[in-house]
Order: sequence, then structure tokens, then C-alpha cells
Amino acid sequence: MLKQTMTKLSVLLLATTTVLTACGGNNNNTTGNATNAPDSDTPATEVAKKDVSFTIGYASGDPATKKAIADTVKKFTEANPNVTIKDLSETSSAAYLDWLKTKDAVGEFPDLVEMRDTQVFADAGKIVELPADLLDLFEAPPQVEGKVWNAPMQVNAPQGIIYSKKAYTDAGITVLPKTYDEFIAIQEKLKTSGITPLVVGGKDIFHMGFWVNKFLIDDVYSKDPDWNSKRTAKTVSFTDANVVQAMTDYKDLFSKYVDKGWLSTGDNQTASILVSGKAAQLYSGTWMFTQIAEADPSFEFGFYAIPDREGKVNVIGLPSPAGWSLSTDAVKDADKTEAIKEFIRFFFAPEQYSVYLATINAIPATKENVTYETSEQMQVALDLVADPNVVKSLAINNWWGDNLIPPQFRNWYYKLLQELVLENGDVTDYMKKADTEYDTQVKANQM
Amino acid sequence: MATSIINADKSVIATHKKKKKKWQSYALLFILPSFILYTLFVIVPTVGSIYLSFTSWDGISSDVRYIGFANFVEIWNSPRVHNALKNTMVMTISLVLLENIAAIALAMMVDKVRWFRNLFRSVFYFPTLLSGIVMGFVWSMILNYNFGVFNQILDRIGLGSYIVDWLGNPKYAMISIILSTAWKGAGYYMIIYLAGLQGIPQELNEAASIDGANGRQQFRHITFPLLAGSMTVCLVLSMISALKIFDQIAVMTDGGPGFETETLTYIIYKVGFGELRQGFGTALAMVLFLIILIITVIQVKFLQKREVQL
Repeated sequence: MLKQTMTKLSVLLLATTTVLTACGGNNNNTTGNATNAPDSDTPATEVAKKDVSFTIGYASGDPATKKAIADTVKKFTEANPNVTIKDLSETSSAAYLDWLKTKDAVGEFPDLVEMRDTQVFADAGKIVELPADLLDLFEAPPQVEGKVWNAPMQVNAPQGIIYSKKAYTDAGITVLPKTYDEFIAIQEKLKTSGITPLVVGGKDIFHMGFWVNKFLIDDVYSKDPDWNSKRTAKTVSFTDANVVQAMTDYKDLFSKYVDKGWLSTGDNQTASILVSGKAAQLYSGTWMFTQIAEADPSFEFGFYAIPDREGKVNVIGLPSPAGWSLSTDAVKDADKTEAIKEFIRFFFAPEQYSVYLATINAIPATKENVTYETSEQMQVALDLVADPNVVKSLAINNWWGDNLIPPQFRNWYYKLLQELVLENGDVTDYMKKADTEYDTQVKANQM
Repeated sequence: MATSIINADKSVIATHKKKKKKWQSYALLFILPSFILYTLFVIVPTVGSIYLSFTSWDGISSDVRYIGFANFVEIWNSPRVHNALKNTMVMTISLVLLENIAAIALAMMVDKVRWFRNLFRSVFYFPTLLSGIVMGFVWSMILNYNFGVFNQILDRIGLGSYIVDWLGNPKYAMISIILSTAWKGAGYYMIIYLAGLQGIPQELNEAASIDGANGRQQFRHITFPLLAGSMTVCLVLSMISALKIFDQIAVMTDGGPGFETETLTYIIYKVGFGELRQGFGTALAMVLFLIILIITVIQVKFLQKREVQL
């Protein structure tokens, strides 16, 4: 009797375990009526009516971008009730690459993914080339090794100083700077007037890049766009005079004019600090305009690009291979691929795309002309893009091909620069550390 | 007669052995599902990690190249790893001491208190129930330089000159993490010490009291030695927990400012996942595993010896 009971219990336990294990199986593929296996023989028109599900992931550290994309996803699923889009994005992710890599490690790499480190993921075979029938949406999408991997979500927009008009007036500043030295003079005036000149969201490591790249572009990339490849080949160094000058300017600015809480301030707190009058300026991109206006609609602010010492204006503005990419796993399923392509077309359709662009104040990347009502500040940014005298460049980690830096170097370098300011270190000594780390990482990546 | 008794005994023993064997089979059968899951999700990945630590795998590509001891040589030479190791040790020693001292103090207080004993127990234990992530967010908000409650209180009570960036200043970031983590962990160890305290016969303290021993002497010569068993458990658990600290750092400082609060577990995550160097990260994990193993073995041997001596 006991034996029978024990046997029954054992069988029941094993059966339950098996069933529960089965419950945790992969549910990452198509749902509803669709099967897991690709059905490449089925005609496209019929496929579109099937119930399809795919996952989406994008950099959502900026709330405006998150909202803009989430709204588009919602509209798309309303218009296409047979398609379910699971949004995997997490607002708390400070470093997008970390998040994406983690998702990949746990088997949740998004089917449709905003790709920034395109070459890294393309080389790893994680993403596929953009389907040929989507290429006609764009004028000249950037290529990596002759292939287009992304549907560019927008043209790289210039970054600059977003300033409180009231703070400038109170400090007696009536003219915008024409050289970097004049810009520093303005910082001194603001400080003297009793307001913290600059707010920086240094807790989010990507935010550090805004300033670091401003100085690198002025002193390095605007004069030598191939500097990264030369650094990899060891023909230039971080200890060269131009880089040391750039980092000295960065260190001086951060030591004297930045809010004392910059290292515990997140990027999403900067708008609040600016509109509350705790700081007079923020160095960021056009996507912040909406956030600032929403934080305080009565807050009056302006925007300008900081000139270099010679009075030239250099900004981020070259195209770079970034944007929507399809994952290699997703394209194994014809239904899913078709649904993703539909979504991409929907995203770039003028009705939706104009709203997305307006929400984050971005510049359209599509061939088709897309317009939206721009603010005074956005007009300044558009003028910078259109001005042939303004040098367009890229951030240290946005180059590709021979100019691609080791993917792990960017965050490490920004952290090193935080330490440089905190420890009041010698710039040349710190740049020697950067050289050593860069070479180590290049070597590690070649192994 | 004697032979039949012996035979009967043999038969009883044989039946007993048979029953025992059956029970063992059932026991093994019950253990089997857990064993399979544990093997699949713990043993196999752990063993697999040993191989990965000798590769340059980036974590996303299928290219897994064997590179010998290159990762371990880099660990040996890397200033960043040395810094993380130093931070880990500082954090571990501070946390083990702080959590255990606070836990003993709280346990004694709760043990002695006459009113609201359960309320106090619950209040001190409550932080333990919070996840490290949630706790990290809460403390980040409290300690925020511009909007944090802590700095606002300092300002309101006229101590505005003491306002600092608690999580952004290298002098205070580590201390802030240690204190907030100890706040969370002390309640857990308090419960273990409380159980230990309640196991100490009251007569010992009463006798000592009659003999003229004061409270400090009673603690030193009675309570503290008799807590040795609880202390062994708490010291080992708090040490392992401190060596593995991750959540609070991820949320509160991201290893910063600069590299000031980067610990071994955090660097494993950063290089493995964020910097696309899974092979190197795994090698670091192996090193951490060895460190924990060695420290735990030494600690347990020392503490058990102490228990026997006491």
C-alpha cells in the first residue's frame, strides 16, 4: 500500500515538474494562430492577416523618445490588431549597450532593435541587412562595409547650450559668445551672479559624452576625422597636444562651473534643475526642448552651439550607421519579418514620423519630405545643420569601419574623465592611462 | 535455540536493510527533479564557465577562441581589477563589522525590551524584505544632492555647510553604500543573534549578577562567548553577501564616481555584459569564486575553533 502510494506520488511529482518546465518554454515567437516554424511559402497578403507577435527594444533613457516610440507602437497595433508588439525597453537603463547585451545573454534580444553599435552586432551576426524593399525610404542611409544595416530614425542633430534667458539677463549677458573664451567669460558672469552655471547629468554615463565629445570634436575630430583609426594604429596618442588641450578644457570647465551634484544627477533630472533656476545652462541635444517645455511651459530658454577658440562652430551632424535593425532570429520567421517591415513603413509614414520628430525635435532621415512646426530653439539647430560653414562630425564611439573604437572603451574613458576631475589629476598622466587601456582593449578584441 | 535466535535476528536485520534501501530509493526519487534542475542551471553553467574563462568570447558572437591564460594575466596586471579588489575588501570588512555589531546591538535591545517587542522586531527586520534594487533607488533619492531629503534636512536645521554630494563625492560614495547596505542587512542577522540570545540560560546572568558582575562584564564573559555559534553563521553569511554586493552599486553609483565604488562583482557584470568581454568577465568570476572559497574556509575553520575553545 505504502509502495503504491509512494510510486503514485513520485510519478505525480515528476509529471508536475515536467509540465511546469514545459510552461517556461520559449514564447518569444509568433502567437495565436501562427506557428513557430517559418512559413516562407505563404503569400504576403495572407501572412499579413495572421496573428503575429514581435519584440521591440530601443534606447529609452530619454522620456520624450520613449513616449514618442511607445505612441507609434500603440497606433500601429490599433491599426493592425493582428500584430502584437512587446516593448522590452526599460527607462532605467543608463547604458544602452549594457542593456542590449544583457537582453541578448538571457535570450531576449529584440526582434526589432534600435541599433547604435551597428558594426559590433553585425560582425557578431546578431542583425541582418535592412530588407531591400525598405531602402527606398531613405536618401542615402549610411553603410558599413558596403551594406545598409539600419533604418536611420533621424539625422544626427547638433548639441549645444540650452540656457535660461532669465539667468542670462540677470547676469547681464546680452550677446551670445563668438569664441570659446567668450563662452568662459559668460560662465564667470553667471557664477558671479550667484547661479550655478551648468547642470550635468553625470550619473548617466552617456550624458558625459555630450561634453567630452564637444571638446574632442573641436580639437581632434574636426581637424582629423580619421583620428580613431590612427590611434588604433598607434600613430597618434591621447597624450598628443590636441587631445590634452581638449581634456584640459573639459577639466577646467567641470572644476569651476558645473553643479556640485553632477555625479549623482541623472540625465532625466537636468531639465528640472534648469527650469527650477538652480542652474543656468544645460549642454544637450534638441530632444531636450520638449522635456524642458513640459517641465515648465513658462520657462524661456534659448539654444546655441559653443564655438571653439578660433570662433569656428563644430557640431555632431554627420550621418552614422544607427537606427532600426532586424535581428537575425526574427527574419527566420517570414510572418514576423513582414510585420516588422510593416511597422517600419508605418513608423516612417509622414503622419506618424512627423509626430515622432516633433516630440523629440529631431531632423528627418527619410527621402519623403516630412515637416512639423518647429520652435525657435529647433530652428537654430536646423540652421546649424544647413550652414555649410559649420563643421559636422561625430562622437568618439559613433565612427565605424577603421575608425571604430573598441566598444567597451567609451564608457571606460568617460569614467576615467570623471575621475580626472574628482582627483584633480594631471591630464597627461590620465591620457597615458587612456592609451594603455585603449591598446589593451584593441589587443583583447583581436584575440 | 541459539541458532534460531541468530537466524531471526538476521532476518530482522535483512528486512530492516531492505526497508532502508527502499526508503533511500524513494528519497533519491524525490531529490531527482531538483537535482536535474540544479545540475542543468547551476553545475553545467559553472563548469562551462571554467572553459569560457580561457577564451576571448565577446558574449554575442559564435566565435569562441581559446587564449590560454591571457585573461588571468590581464587580471593580474590590470589596475582597474586591483582597484575593484581593493574596493571589495574595504566594503566587505566594513560591512561584516558594521552589520554584525549593529545586529548584536539590535538583538540585545529587542531581547531586553518589555513593551512592543514584536513591533521593534518587525521594524528592524523590515528593511531586509526590500530588494537591493528598490533599496538602492530609495537611498539614491534620499541622498540626491539637489532634491534629496537628507540634504534638505541639513539645510533646514542650519547645517547647510555640510551638504555634499553623498553619492557623487569619492569620499562619501563608498560610505553611503556601506551604511545603506548595513541598514538593510542588520535586521536579518539580528534575528539569528536573537535566537542565540534566547538560547542562553537566564540563570547564568542572574548568578553573575548576584556575584556582582555588571552589565558589561556579563556581556563580555557570558553573552558574547555563548553567541559564538550564531556569530559563526552571521559572519560567514554577511561576508559572502558583502563580497557579492551588486544591486546597490548598480543603482546608487554605477560603480562611480569614476571607479571609486567598482567592486569585483560589478566589474564582472560591466566587462562581461557592457564591454562585450564575456571571457574576461568569466575569468574574473573564477577569481572571485576562489577568493570567496578561500576566505570562507579560513573563516569557518577559525570560528569553529573559537566555538570549541569557548
